[in-house]
Amino acid sequence: MKIVKQYTMTFLALAAIAFAGCTHEDLPEGSDLDVSNPPQSTLDEWITTNYFNPYNINVQYKWNPNNVDLNTYLYPPEENKVQPALEVIQKIWLDSYQTIAGPDFIKKIAPREIVLVGGISLDLNGVTTLGLAESGQRIILFETDKIDKTDRENVKEFIHTIQHEYIHILNQHKPYDEKSMAKITPSGYTASWFDTSDKDANEQGFITAYAKMNINEDFAEMASVMLINSKDEYEAILAGIQNEDAVAAIRAKEAVVVKYFEKEFGVDFYALRDEAQKNTTAVLNGN
Amino acid sequence: MKIKNIFKFLIIAFLTAQLGACVSNEAEQKFDQTPAERLNAREKELNDLLLSSEYGWKAVYFTDNTQLGGFTHLFKFSADGKVAMASDFDSNTSTYNSDYSIEIGSTISLVFTTKNRIHLLSDSNNFPVPGLKGRGYEGDFQFLYYGEENGEIIFKTKRSFEELRFVKATAEDWTDLELNTEMAQNIIGSDKRSLFRLLEINDGTNIHKLDFNYAPRPRFAIANSVEQGYNMSYNMGIAFTKTGIIVSPPVVVNDQKLTEFIYDDSTGSFTATGTNGVSAAIKYTDKPLILTDDYTLLLPGIGNGNNAYAYIHDYTELEGANSALFLSLLNDIEEANGEPLQRAQFWFNNADGTNYVEYRIGSVIYYHYFTLKADDVNKTITFIPDAWKSGRNPKSPTITAPSFLKTLDDEFMNPQGLYFAEIPVVGYRAYTFTSTTTPFRMVAYSFQ
Repeated sequence: MKIVKQYTMTFLALAAIAFAGCTHEDLPEGSDLDVSNPPQSTLDEWITTNYFNPYNINVQYKWNPNNVDLNTYLYPPEENKVQPALEVIQKIWLDSYQTIAGPDFIKKIAPREIVLVGGISLDLNGVTTLGLAESGQRIILFETDKIDKTDRENVKEFIHTIQHEYIHILNQHKPYDEKSMAKITPSGYTASWFDTSDKDANEQGFITAYAKMNINEDFAEMASVMLINSKDEYEAILAGIQNEDAVAAIRAKEAVVVKYFEKEFGVDFYALRDEAQKNTTAVLNGN
Repeated sequence: MKIKNIFKFLIIAFLTAQLGACVSNEAEQKFDQTPAERLNAREKELNDLLLSSEYGWKAVYFTDNTQLGGFTHLFKFSADGKVAMASDFDSNTSTYNSDYSIEIGSTISLVFTTKNRIHLLSDSNNFPVPGLKGRGYEGDFQFLYYGEENGEIIFKTKRSFEELRFVKATAEDWTDLELNTEMAQNIIGSDKRSLFRLLEINDGTNIHKLDFNYAPRPRFAIANSVEQGYNMSYNMGIAFTKTGIIVSPPVVVNDQKLTEFIYDDSTGSFTATGTNGVSAAIKYTDKPLILTDDYTLLLPGIGNGNNAYAYIHDYTELEGANSALFLSLLNDIEEANGEPLQRAQFWFNNADGTNYVEYRIGSVIYYHYFTLKADDVNKTITFIPDAWKSGRNPKSPTITAPSFLKTLDDEFMNPQGLYFAEIPVVGYRAYTFTSTTTPFRMVAYSFQ
């Protein structure tokens, strides 16, 4: 036993020397590459003040080839369209959530990056993608160049994308009642949703054609369509549907959405909708 | 003893491992500088080069010379990351400012980071032919740096790895860029000249004639030989200069690569001259080099049933073979009527023996009946006009000919007749109706 102890001690001492032996290496000081921030334009400063500082959201409008699929043919936005687009998002999306859900709501659950793209994401089948939410961290918005703050339909379509993608991000933090959602129109989901018109999709119990893609898209479409339309506009869509079962299905999905916001976040969804409408009107009036 | 030995050996092994661990790990340096230093040097080299030319740089960008032509761009870079740019993509050759950056990735590359003229080539929704839907003009705006050669900067495009050279621009390049768009009209062809062209190849001893067709939107030309025993075809993308055109890939005659064609306004021809009598010339001709029997498909007879061929708005309209005259007539109709002509659809050999052309505008359809006359010598077909009707039943009431359709309808009902021939298009079968006397040519979708 004594010998064992002796050897153990020797062994430990040697080990200590061994680990200390190679520590004196020259460590590099900083990066050899130029990692300094490029000069900030007025637009860059505006983004820092309005997005980065209050919400910790970075906005990329200059082209970064790594952000999009190399197989799509896209281009960066026109520089003078960037701030108007961001102002629309700020007023209708950020401000509405801030007022109704509280000042920290978006700060806590937000995409860390918004990427603006000028061109249309059109694939070889003729299918257009308006936006993408990647891992809940990054939202890519296409067609930024088309923004027209005086045209209600244009603003609605643009804001539809971010409202839709943000619903996905909320869902990634807190799941919605997928079981109830899946039971409402179980047979209507299809990957070739683009073969159906919005009108026909309405008659099948879907708020838009894209909602037919799967229940997650159905939920996001249901919530975002409610958020971009006023109460009257939404009721008019439902009133235009002939099939009463379809109306009942959409109402049931509406209830799932409303319950989700109430239960998971304590947010009154109808109040959020009304606030978004108020802010949409404000944008159109140039405020 | 046993345990002692085990520990002895363990310690010896351990010591050996330790002593071995601190051996020199200096790798042999293949370069004087570290990779980061070399990347930085390369970045500075490119930036200095970009800033070095007094009048900036010129690049004729052939995005895909298997189906598209070249687009001339001028760039003037500034040290603050801005670039002034002009292009001959369309008639707007003004200069616009935007940002550029030099990116470090697997290599150094130049990226145009905010929107300018070069991005017009990367618009998925603006495609020159239906086959390029979703890909636009297949343009790129990130160029990988491959060094400098004879004062030219060599890049390769990121997406398709095409070589693109930046050559030093001159002051005249900027002022004369608009002349490129005038030259574009000369290769499209004048309203006052014939629609038919040929490519004449002189190999120093023999002259060969090839049928030549140019599609303006993709800036692409196809030339096919029609002679027995001489089987050649040249497909070429075309870019404009102030004196003529540049073609890519080159027209190769006797191993000579011909790329620059000079325009002659007196004849409307473009000529590229090599050495030893070699030349290539794009010339006008009075009638098509190839006369096909396709017109017989329109006649009543065995195998020819109830055939339909149609111009379709937003579809066949995009094909390059539609002539400028035809497109201008469509435009006139839309202006006069407030709505585009959706279709001009020909129906031949209906069950009741009639033929008519059906014009669809909005929800209204007009029918112009006609009879057929074929010329087997000149291989033409003539439509002899009959009544206008409101329906496809011959007993439908006769109506007055709509005045806004007259000019277009007159082209179809040309008493001298039309050529009718199949042309290659992507995605469907198409034929052209081409006037024998005016620069009128319409691409039609074949329903057969």
